[in-house]
Amino acid sequence: MREIPATAFDARRLPVFEPDPALWSRIAAAHLRRRRLRQWGFAAAATVLLGVAGALLVRAPQPPSPQWADAQRESQALEAEWRRLADGGRPTTIGLTRLRSIDAALQAAYDRGGDASEVVPLWQQRNEALRGLIARFQDANTRDASLVTRI
Amino acid sequence: MADGNPSSVSEIRAPSGFGLELDRVTLERARRGEMTAFAAIYERFGGPCYNLALRVLGEPAAAEDIVQEIFLKLMGSLRGFRGDAPFGAWLKRMTANATIDALRAHQRFRDEDPDALFEAMPALAADAEDRADAWSMLMRLPPRARAVVILHEVEGYTHKEMAELFGQSESYSKSILARALKRLNDVVAEPGSKEAMDHA
Repeated sequence: MREIPATAFDARRLPVFEPDPALWSRIAAAHLRRRRLRQWGFAAAATVLLGVAGALLVRAPQPPSPQWADAQRESQALEAEWRRLADGGRPTTIGLTRLRSIDAALQAAYDRGGDASEVVPLWQQRNEALRGLIARFQDANTRDASLVTRI
Repeated sequence: MADGNPSSVSEIRAPSGFGLELDRVTLERARRGEMTAFAAIYERFGGPCYNLALRVLGEPAAAEDIVQEIFLKLMGSLRGFRGDAPFGAWLKRMTANATIDALRAHQRFRDEDPDALFEAMPALAADAEDRADAWSMLMRLPPRARAVVILHEVEGYTHKEMAELFGQSESYSKSILARALKRLNDVVAEPGSKEAMDHA
């Protein structure tokens, strides 16, 4: 380190000042205010979210009864099976009219907000109709197979 | 000093309080949000933050605003401090950034051309008392020139670091620093000044 020339601006001669002694308490108070505001903000946001979720739950359709849910699940499985068979077989419209009329009745029941006593029998009717369609496909396939064997 | 420039005080740096150590325990307690730990950090580093801001901005109220801003930010972001650099260096960078932002916000940064910056400034006609008073002389410089002098001469910023801070080339801060120090040293060396007479 070398000597500073006597004719040089010397940054070491700059005075060192102390901040206002109350500055830290002002900073700490501002921090606590911010933290409280954030906590209030979170609480308010959580309240609003809970309120919205509650309102949605009240307004949403009632969850189906176990019977309702079972019938609906069975219907989906039967429909998937029927579609699988229909894709590999000859197209047919036999039994479809009944299925369509049941679907329309189901839709109307849902639109009215119908309860389980109205909707569950309709799902059961739909399942019966689908079982009939599947049986027809299976019979037709069996007949085709026996015909091939005879030839 | 890394970048060798024409400063007559280039190898003699005024001590900066940012070089103080911060122990791990206090740092961990602060990371957990303990107010007593923040108070201990303020006790150690509040002064260096205040003096850096005050020397550049020249106004105690503005410097206190910077300190408040820095510490509030610190309380919210200390978890993000990875400890790669010393804590003081991290805090110094935050303070320098906030101070330069404050200069920009007050439109004290309008003139980007170093020539125009010094042309607009009256000559440093200091009286005998001012010549001996480094603070008064510093305050006669434009705020941007003060920022360059303080960051380089006191806080140890390189021109590369200042180029990033100011968003300018390295030659920009070199030019401002050379002119500012020449002005300051010309005043100190004026015949009849206390320093010149002592030297004689």
